[in-house]
Amino acid sequence: MATTTAAITIASSDIADNNFSVSNTATLTNAGNDTGMTKTTGLTRVTLASTSPVILIDAGATTRLNTITRGKIYIKNLNDRGDGTKFVTVEMDAASPVEIGRLYGGDFCFFPFDGSSGNDIGLDPSDATSTDLEYIIFYE
Amino acid sequence: MATTTASITLSSPDLLSQAISLSSSMTLYKGDTTSTGLEQMNYHRAIIPIGTNFVLVSESDALKDNSNYIYIVNKNTDVTHYVTISIGAEVIGSLYAGDFMFIPWSNDVSETTAVDDPSGADTDIAIQAFIASNTIEYALFHVGETLLTHTAS
Repeated sequence: MATTTAAITIASSDIADNNFSVSNTATLTNAGNDTGMTKTTGLTRVTLASTSPVILIDAGATTRLNTITRGKIYIKNLNDRGDGTKFVTVEMDAASPVEIGRLYGGDFCFFPFDGSSGNDIGLDPSDATSTDLEYIIFYE
Repeated sequence: MATTTASITLSSPDLLSQAISLSSSMTLYKGDTTSTGLEQMNYHRAIIPIGTNFVLVSESDALKDNSNYIYIVNKNTDVTHYVTISIGAEVIGSLYAGDFMFIPWSNDVSETTAVDDPSGADTDIAIQAFIASNTIEYALFHVGETLLTHTAS
């Protein structure tokens, strides 16, 4: 078994009257037990250069040596923020997309996904600007 | 404007044959701006009982189609306890005891519908606890809030 951790800190010195800071560290384990996740896609870099949405994770489909099911995903938009109007929308369910949120240049997200069939994760660019992203998935 | 940063580090000494570590930091800006920081925040702690899928963060016209960020952590310690996090009818994933998530939330609602239920609650963030009640903390960094007019009795 492997030990993989995710640590986050969110902090601000001026969003409230007093300094605000919250930190947490999670060990990435399989569902319902303390066995560490043992599979990963490794860090992957992709470039999007059109407005066409793409499926980043075809959940439940065996498109790799292993079927990617339940796991954790980290995605970062590597572009700089530019004029602040360009982003990539993270979506769930390619067949009937549900929008989660926008990754502007420099933004990242980290979240669990259940990976059941139809629980795809997609990316939908706001325009055709060449956009570099990187992602890594840890899964059961 | 305020300056709020989020930093993350993912690391493992033994998942691969070589240790891995990656770190990233970002500033939480308003959408469609180059450098205007989000100025509003809600931070909550709640105990979620089992049996019902609850609305954790309601969609709102004040938040719609913009940059908001949500952080949720499950503070339970029993590894079998978990909550599911959904957006609309779509389950995003499960947060087991100790897990956290950090996502942007664009609150993608219709432009034409009412303030308190802009498009049938299709972008609400919902939470459901399983096995036992789960204590969670969550933060919403956001562009605005739909304030309700007080009606005095």
